[in-house]
Amino acid sequence: MRKATQLAGAVCLLVASMSGMAASALAAPPPERYLHVKVEDTKEGESVNVNLPLSIAEKILPTVNKGKLRDGHVTIGSADLDGVDVKGLLDPIRTAPDNEFVTVKQKDQDVRIAKSNGNLIVHVRCTNGDKQNVDVTIPLKVVDALFSTAKDNELNIVAALHELSDAGDALLVTVQDATQHVRVWVDSKSSSD
Amino acid sequence: MVLLGKIALGITGTMLAGVGAICSQGMIEVNVVERQPEVHHVYVIAPAMLVPIVTHFIPRHDLGDASQQLRPYMPTIRAALDQLQETEDFVMVDVKDRKQHVEVQKIGGSLVIDVKDENETVHVETPVRMISSTLEQLADKESATAD
Repeated sequence: MRKATQLAGAVCLLVASMSGMAASALAAPPPERYLHVKVEDTKEGESVNVNLPLSIAEKILPTVNKGKLRDGHVTIGSADLDGVDVKGLLDPIRTAPDNEFVTVKQKDQDVRIAKSNGNLIVHVRCTNGDKQNVDVTIPLKVVDALFSTAKDNELNIVAALHELSDAGDALLVTVQDATQHVRVWVDSKSSSD
Repeated sequence: MVLLGKIALGITGTMLAGVGAICSQGMIEVNVVERQPEVHHVYVIAPAMLVPIVTHFIPRHDLGDASQQLRPYMPTIRAALDQLQETEDFVMVDVKDRKQHVEVQKIGGSLVIDVKDENETVHVETPVRMISSTLEQLADKESATAD
């Protein structure tokens, strides 16, 4: 009888400690997400790393009211859109299967725009002088958030950042030329290493 | 004798409480080591709480322009510093070239700036709370001038 009581006590303690651990794990805030920018210049031997917690960017942007940036929204001039209905364009892209939508081949430059695994992908290859390659991969959810404002000529940067912080680790932009390499990515590491 | 002991204890307690209050916002640390042409070493450590107190006594007319320029940016600065205090430690900026290395980090409750090159090493550590309260003081000075 005494052994049974001791066993029951031990089981209760174990359950209590496990539920405590589970509760603390559930209560723990999600890990901080960082936007990293890394610029490396092999010719000059220079490197610049900037790491910005997305939570800070999300809090700061709505407080900036200068120029085209107001309350976390950027106004695009109608000349920049050139009459293109971007929101209207996004709808078919969102529902379409993975595919390459645009391919432009020029003498010294190739441009490809595609959709793959829920990402909008832009590849630019320049074959002239600098031989610059640009790759942009943006989750479609982030693009949607960017155009989630009521106005057609506004980009919702805060909503895009919020969506970006919910998305997984992602390499957003790479630019490579003969001497320079630029990378922009998001992950949960507090440094660029 | 007992009375003297009590007085001594009271004075010691007050001094300790004072030191504790002064150091409550952390310490500012500045460490500069110059190697060339001559070796110089400057090391300053001071309670961070003194900075906003000293700022309070700077004449308003001497701060007029600085305060005025600072005021429009206060909501942004406030949001950034508040959030900075809540985030975990991280390297904000890291710039390297063949001769120099500059690093800006958030460590604990402080903003740490390290600059290293062939000739000198500079290390500055300032508590984020101190930066916040000093800037608030400066912004308040502006509103007092405007009144």
